[in-house]
Amino acid sequence: MREKATTLYLGPQHPGITGNMMIRLKVEGDTIVGATTEVGYLHRAFEKLQEKRNWLQSFTLMCRFCVPETDPMEESYARAVEAIEGREVPERAKYIRVMVLELARLASFMLWYGGQNGSLGLYTMGQWSVGDRNYILDLFEELTGGRVYHMYIWPGGVRRDLPKGFEKRVLKTMDYFEKRLNDYDDLMFENAIFKKRTQGVGIVDKEKAIEHGVVGPVLRGCGIRSDIRIDDPYEVYDKLDFIVPTAEGGDIWARALVRRQEARQSIRIIRQVIDMMPSGSVYNKIPNPQKWTLPKGDAYVRTEAVRGEIGLYMASDGGTNPRRVHLRGAAYVHAITLLEDILIGANIADVSAIMNSLGTCPPEIER
Amino acid sequence: MQKLKANLIEHINSGFRDAVAKDYPNENRLDFYVNKQCIPSILTYAKDRLGYIHLSHIAIVDWLEEGEFELIYIIWSPEEKIKMFVRTRVERENPVMPNIDMIWRQANTYEREFREMYGIQFQGLEAPEEFILEDWQGPPPMRRDFDTEEYANETFFHRPGREDAGDVREEIIKRSREEIPDFAKKYSR
Repeated sequence: MREKATTLYLGPQHPGITGNMMIRLKVEGDTIVGATTEVGYLHRAFEKLQEKRNWLQSFTLMCRFCVPETDPMEESYARAVEAIEGREVPERAKYIRVMVLELARLASFMLWYGGQNGSLGLYTMGQWSVGDRNYILDLFEELTGGRVYHMYIWPGGVRRDLPKGFEKRVLKTMDYFEKRLNDYDDLMFENAIFKKRTQGVGIVDKEKAIEHGVVGPVLRGCGIRSDIRIDDPYEVYDKLDFIVPTAEGGDIWARALVRRQEARQSIRIIRQVIDMMPSGSVYNKIPNPQKWTLPKGDAYVRTEAVRGEIGLYMASDGGTNPRRVHLRGAAYVHAITLLEDILIGANIADVSAIMNSLGTCPPEIER
Repeated sequence: MQKLKANLIEHINSGFRDAVAKDYPNENRLDFYVNKQCIPSILTYAKDRLGYIHLSHIAIVDWLEEGEFELIYIIWSPEEKIKMFVRTRVERENPVMPNIDMIWRQANTYEREFREMYGIQFQGLEAPEEFILEDWQGPPPMRRDFDTEEYANETFFHRPGREDAGDVREEIIKRSREEIPDFAKKYSR
């Protein structure tokens, strides 16, 4: 006899949900037969607010779009402003930006390690990785004064130069992380539970990936080599030597394999950047922010964040405030149409693991 | 790069004569200004024939003074590595746009948001009526003529808050016995 479908509301307050959103599941027994994403729990109208604020004030909102990854948003904003205005950025600042972006990427990977394993009930990894993440946050605190929100990469360069001996401390931390990533591999990728729960679950095939506009590790997990840092290079990524890992299968396991390699590539990039960093100034001063106007025009910049492509469209009407700042994050395409699609046929217990592997971040959907 | 761009302009103009191209010589960017009715056909053509398989963004700007919304479809070709901006304008009064979610599924999310936040109707869009707003009765809130503060003052009653709530600056001055700096005085209540 066919079981009757039941509606199950997962979220907005549920430990397995990656933020303030809800998924309305239609389930038959333990199997999902329909899913609808419901958002609207944390809309902060940042983009509306930015239209009322001057160029520098609206910059301070950028890092708040998505908490696990604050620096790519700042960098996008800075680069879009520079593109419209034609402002030059000192070479040293570009290297520092890449270093900060990669440190932020590594910190975000640490959160992902915890979240992905936590969603499967494997809590040791979360204790380790979130603990280790603090070493990076310590570096950020020293450099920027903030642990999570930095407001460091701003239009014209970066806010201050590296403190004395900072490079050495970064390299020491990287040595530590290199060792720790091996421990993570033993704990995560040698774990039978992790393998069993992730292989063949949440599959995104190549056709679906193109149809849904999938980006980042999810796309690379389908075997498609795509990375904004290589395809549409920004800052100094075109001068650096690193590889873009891919994996076949398109399931949670494949996406985990991609991220595992990417974390190592970030360490590689940070070492190169410190090695190649030129001396010089780090900031091309902006005018008085109250009177600072940008010429009429628009720009669209793309950044490779941990969860995938971040796109920022910015339009200026020649005034002191942005005409429009329009952000599109990876979660905007992953967490609604794609998630609703691939949840069908999955088990209730897999929802959280799938959401984590897609990099779902609700604040990015509701800006 | 310039050769690719010239080739692209030729291809687009051969199928869509009204499309006006604008080149940005130092960037991997090419803009096309088109009529809104051309949007589905030009995007399908670019995706299927020219290799622009990735819809990177659909941006929207409210040009209130000109009485129009501008929609910018930004598509990307992984092979040519060029960003193509397909731009169109639609009137602010009863705006209607063609729907493109059959070309890229994720366009559905953008269109839902624009319908709710800007009041643009997309022909044949199949999606739940509500996206981010719940039981919203007011005008589309992301339009530039919507004043958030004014709407909040008219719609909601004022809640006085704590009775002992004072100006925090005055409290600090009292405690530290220091004068308020001149630049901060204008912000003082």
